[in-house]
Amino acid sequence: MDARLERMADVLVEHSLRVGEGDAVLVAGPLGASEFAVAMQERVIVAGGHPYVRVVPEQLEEALMRLGSSEQLDWVNPTVRRLYETVDCYAALIAPENTCALAATAPEAATRRRRAQQPLQDILERREQAGELRSVVTAVPTHGLAQEADMSVRDYTNLVAAAGWLEGDDPVGEWRTFRERALALAERLNGVGRVRIVAEGTDLELDVGGRTWVPADGTQNFPDGEIYTAPIEDSTSGTIRFPHATIIDGRRIGGISLTFEQGVVVDASAERGEADLLALLDTDDGARRVGELAFGLNERIEVFTGEPLFDEKIAGTVHVALGSAYPECGGTNTSALHWDLVCDLREAGHVELDGELAHGGGRFGEDWF
Amino acid sequence: MIDARAERLARLIVEYSLGLETGEVFRIDGAAESLALVVPVYEQALEAGAHPYTQMSADGAAEALLRDGSDAQITYLPATAGEEIEALDALFTIWSDVNTKALSGVDPARQQLLLDSRQELSKRRTERIFSGELKWCGTLFPANAHAQDAGMSLRAYEEFVYGACHVLGEEDAAAHWRATSAALKARAEELEAVSELHILGPDTDLCVRVEGRTWVAADGCLNMPDGEVFTSPLEDSTRGEIRYTFPATFQGREVEDVRLRFEGGRVVSAEAARGAGYLKSVLELDGADVLGEVAFGLNYEIDRFTRNILFDEKIGGTMHLALGASFPMTGGVNTAPIHWDMICDLREDGEVYADGELIWRAGRFLHEPGGA
Repeated sequence: MDARLERMADVLVEHSLRVGEGDAVLVAGPLGASEFAVAMQERVIVAGGHPYVRVVPEQLEEALMRLGSSEQLDWVNPTVRRLYETVDCYAALIAPENTCALAATAPEAATRRRRAQQPLQDILERREQAGELRSVVTAVPTHGLAQEADMSVRDYTNLVAAAGWLEGDDPVGEWRTFRERALALAERLNGVGRVRIVAEGTDLELDVGGRTWVPADGTQNFPDGEIYTAPIEDSTSGTIRFPHATIIDGRRIGGISLTFEQGVVVDASAERGEADLLALLDTDDGARRVGELAFGLNERIEVFTGEPLFDEKIAGTVHVALGSAYPECGGTNTSALHWDLVCDLREAGHVELDGELAHGGGRFGEDWF
Repeated sequence: MIDARAERLARLIVEYSLGLETGEVFRIDGAAESLALVVPVYEQALEAGAHPYTQMSADGAAEALLRDGSDAQITYLPATAGEEIEALDALFTIWSDVNTKALSGVDPARQQLLLDSRQELSKRRTERIFSGELKWCGTLFPANAHAQDAGMSLRAYEEFVYGACHVLGEEDAAAHWRATSAALKARAEELEAVSELHILGPDTDLCVRVEGRTWVAADGCLNMPDGEVFTSPLEDSTRGEIRYTFPATFQGREVEDVRLRFEGGRVVSAEAARGAGYLKSVLELDGADVLGEVAFGLNYEIDRFTRNILFDEKIGGTMHLALGASFPMTGGVNTAPIHWDMICDLREDGEVYADGELIWRAGRFLHEPGGA
């Protein structure tokens, strides 16, 4: 395995999950990520934890969507539930061999499945809030991810290594330094009430007054580098456009434009995959509201890859997520959906915070960050 | 990537061996090597209305734990382990290794520690299987590592494995196994009238008493492939000598040309051309010097020794007589920490007498069960 990915496993165990003596650690992902999962297992053992590697063939999800009855789509595996209720640490690995594996399945099946699995997500969320669980989502380079980004897997690995500060000797130190800078930004943002985002096809306003901004420093996502909050649920108004294609449930949706009134999507279109977009908005009531507003702050990610974990971190972008909000921000919107959509402000876009031009030309003003 | 033979095997397992039903919670245990069987079994299980999921072993995970783990880490059981055994309605085990010798460098004491820590779980699993609460079937996926053990190319080994399961061609595999099941049950019933078996073969002249014991037809439900009838002999009855022509493999070790002499049910002398020290160390374990099983291998599609007990014990024309633990459902009472199947090839010039009557010669019963 690439030495930098070995280092990523170190960082995940030491910095993100902070595995200690006796911690039960679930490492879960597709079968294709087995090698990386075992590398994490080795580090968990050294840290004194109890690793549990759970790798699942990615073809099975497609089979379930294609063949499953309602009862089968709704079924929640009691063993997985119990794992989520009991582990101390959880690493979820994104590592598709084929990002379009679910492309031919019925959108309703994916939505039904997402709703049925919501209680599992709730368990993780609740335990994380209560300080009982430390969890991280990460991406392990695969041909599938690389192809989606128009790259070789070698170049994709370079991207992951750069984005995670894995090339140097002290990635954990780098992330701690980032955290200090981002905390200062959070402090200023916490004083902001009104946010206006302007870009081509975009003029969106949201209220964030009283909500908390949280710096994302490589503990819950890896790589990381953003700052996020949850806007006031009924405050979003205006239009926002997301030119870059994104993949959800194996389907590419691109050129999305959303118009909000009083916090709710009232008009939605997409140049590609519009029917899928509309189906996702119908997931549940909360799916039409913005659960997250965030700024990408990772200057080492410059190109769109089609994988939100990276795209939403690009410095100079802003993203909103349709669906569930993070309670740590003070957000209250609930949904089975949490779908990050990224708007690039680097070419021609800016953000006004309480009327002040705070972010333009793809970066925060010097006095902000 | 999916092989039509693997698809047919999947159907046979789900419909015949396990008989999966709507709503049953069903776990498939496999590895990356066996994906071509895991996927169709998962699909067939969905079509049967069950709730399938997988437990896939990650290559290198067991080795890493055994190599680097502390005793506490090796013996640790996740909070879910006990409950999961109770929650399952059906379990399918696919043996498939990427390297059958991958754990050779691991300290056997640590391996034993791991096994011991799982003993309660495996005991409970066995209990649920034999009480009928948990459906279980084990099979082997023809991967390169197993072909290599058998000294065969992958292509030839696939034909061997799928042939033994009767899924090589378009034949109705379930119908074959139903017919086999009926024949094996008739044979088992007939053998229940026998008090003593006298086995004659090359350097073999052995008497075992089986009166009052139940014979079991192994008909493709618990193992696939299958094809044997077995019982556990009376513990103090075995006398005479036996020479096991095939190498006896156990826990990754191989002992060649085993010769045992029994008196009053117990091994009184043991020799081997290779690995005699290991053989003797195993025989010192409590109950390991008593026969726990006597069986006829009756799957004639399995025509060679391939160094895998799932197949070897069923080679048509062989008998296997296992040292150690007997099977409670046969009425056997011997307990031991091991059950070591050793195989005796009777295909060339073997004879078996039942209460003095010749019933088997050169690897075949002389009469169909129930026939003249």
